[in-house]
Amino acid sequence: MTHVWSRERRCALLAEAERAELIELADACIADGAEVRVLVAPEVGCVTAQVREPVLAQRFLLGDVLACRAEVEVAGHRGWAMRLGDDRAAVLAAAVLDAEVQSGRPRTADVDRLCERVARRRERQESQEWAELAPTVVEFEELT
Amino acid sequence: MGYSGARGGLEAILAAEDLVRRKRDHAPAPWASTEQITARFRLAVDRVMGEAGLYDEPTAAAAFRQAEGDTLEASHLLRAQRSTLPRLAVSEAVDPGEMTVLRRIVPAFREPDGPQLLGRTSDYTGRLLERPEGPPEPPTEESARTEVTEVTEVPERTEEQRSPRRFLDLLRKLDLVSEGRTGDDPEPHDITRKPARPPADRSAVLAAMARAESGALVALWYRSVLGPDGDVHEITLGELRHGRLPLRVRHPHTGNPVTVGEFRVTEAEAIEDLDGADEDRTRFDIGYGLCFGHNERKAIAMANLDIANRRFGRSGPLEQLLLLTVDGLDSGGFLEHLKLPHYVTFRSMVERKQAMRAAAEAGEDLPARAAEPTGKDCR
Repeated sequence: MTHVWSRERRCALLAEAERAELIELADACIADGAEVRVLVAPEVGCVTAQVREPVLAQRFLLGDVLACRAEVEVAGHRGWAMRLGDDRAAVLAAAVLDAEVQSGRPRTADVDRLCERVARRRERQESQEWAELAPTVVEFEELT
Repeated sequence: MGYSGARGGLEAILAAEDLVRRKRDHAPAPWASTEQITARFRLAVDRVMGEAGLYDEPTAAAAFRQAEGDTLEASHLLRAQRSTLPRLAVSEAVDPGEMTVLRRIVPAFREPDGPQLLGRTSDYTGRLLERPEGPPEPPTEESARTEVTEVTEVPERTEEQRSPRRFLDLLRKLDLVSEGRTGDDPEPHDITRKPARPPADRSAVLAAMARAESGALVALWYRSVLGPDGDVHEITLGELRHGRLPLRVRHPHTGNPVTVGEFRVTEAEAIEDLDGADEDRTRFDIGYGLCFGHNERKAIAMANLDIANRRFGRSGPLEQLLLLTVDGLDSGGFLEHLKLPHYVTFRSMVERKQAMRAAAEAGEDLPARAAEPTGKDCR
C-alpha cells in the first residue's frame, strides 16, 4: 500500500529525487500520448533566503539560492515543480509527475511509490549521517 | 578596454587572457572536476558562496576553478552570474531553530539543552602539515564492516539531538537577557536591489555582513577588540552551529509553504555584558551571526559585530564601516582597478605639480589649502 502524500510533501520529495528517476517516470507518464502543455518553461533563477533571527525576531535576507522551476498541464491538470540547482530537465519531469497525480492518471501510484523511495533514502542518509556524528557528542569536564 | 584615457593593446590583452586559459586548463596535471572541488575544497566553496551571496555548490566550484583558487575572484564570477538570473521567489522566513545540526557547541556553558556535538572539526587536536606521497589507501573490508556495525548500534536520532533548543532560550528562561523584541515586523532591506547607507535598518547590516569578505569581517572584529574604537568588550561565544535549513516557498496553486530543498549555514550567538550607564546592567544582550556554508570565523565575527553595532554603531564609525567597507567585491574591485592605465590621471597630477612649482619660482603665493575634514558624507 502506498502512502498518501499531501501535494506539498510530494513536491518536496520530488525536489529531492534523482534526475534519472524523475525523467524515466515522466517519460512513462506521457508515453500514452496525453496532451502536455508547458505553461512555464523550466527557468533557472534565485530564491532569496529570508531568515527570522532569534534575538530580536527580525527578518533579514541572507542571500540567494539557485533554483529552477517549471509548470505544465497534462490532460487539463496543472503540475508545478521547483528544485534547487539548475537542472531544467529534472524540474520539468517533476512538474509532469505533479500533474499526473493531480489528474488522477494511471501512473499516480508510481509517482507515490517514487516519493516513498525518496523518503526512505532520505531516512537512510540521515541515519548514516547521525551514525557518523553521534561519536562526536562531547561532555567536557569542568576544572574546579 | 573601456577604462580611462587609454586605448589599444587588444592583441596583447587577448594573448594575456589566452595565457591564463592555456596554463590553467591545460596544466600538466589531472583535471579538477566540479565534484572533486566540492568534496576536497568544501570550505573554499562555502566561502565563495557566502561572499557572493549565491548558494549553489557546483556553480561555486566552477567559479573557484576558473579563478584558479582565488576566492575573491570566484565570488566576483558567482555574483556576476547571479545578477543575470531572475528572482523566482522570496522564501518564507525560516526560523534557524529548525536547523538540523551537523555541529553544535556551547562554549559558555557545559550542560545546555541538547548535546554538544563537535561534528567535523580538528579544533581540539594539534595540526601538523601532512605531505602524503599519494592518495590514502581506501578503507579495508574489515574497517568498513566495523563502520557498518557501528551504524546499526547507534540509536535513532531524537528531535533534541537534531535541533537542540538554543542556549539563548535557556538564558531567557533565567531572565538573563535584555528583551529587545518589540513585536514589530518591518520588511527586510534588500541590499542587492538598494544599496544601504547609514543610518540603515539592522536587516541591511545583517545582510551586508552575511555576504562580507570573511577576512574583512574578522579584521573589523579584531579592530573592534584591540583597536581604537573598542566596540567589542566581553568576547563570550554563546553558541555556534553548522547545519541545514529548509528553503520554503509558497506553492502557487495551494498557497501553502512547500520545501524545495535545504541549504547549509553557520550560526553564532555572542554574549555581551551590558555595562553602559543607560543599559540594563543586570542582564546580557546577544549578537547574532549567520552566513551561507561552513564558515565559523565569519559567523562569530558577525555575531560580535551585530551587538557592537546595535550598541555603538551610530556613536562611532562602526555602522558605516560595516555597510561600506566589508564587501569584498567593493573593496577588491576598487583596489584592482588601480592596475588599469591611469596615464591621464597621473599626467594631470604631474602638470599640477609643475604649475605650482612654476608659480612658486615666479614668486606667486600658493593658494591656501583647507584641510579635508575627517570623515566624509556617505553618498
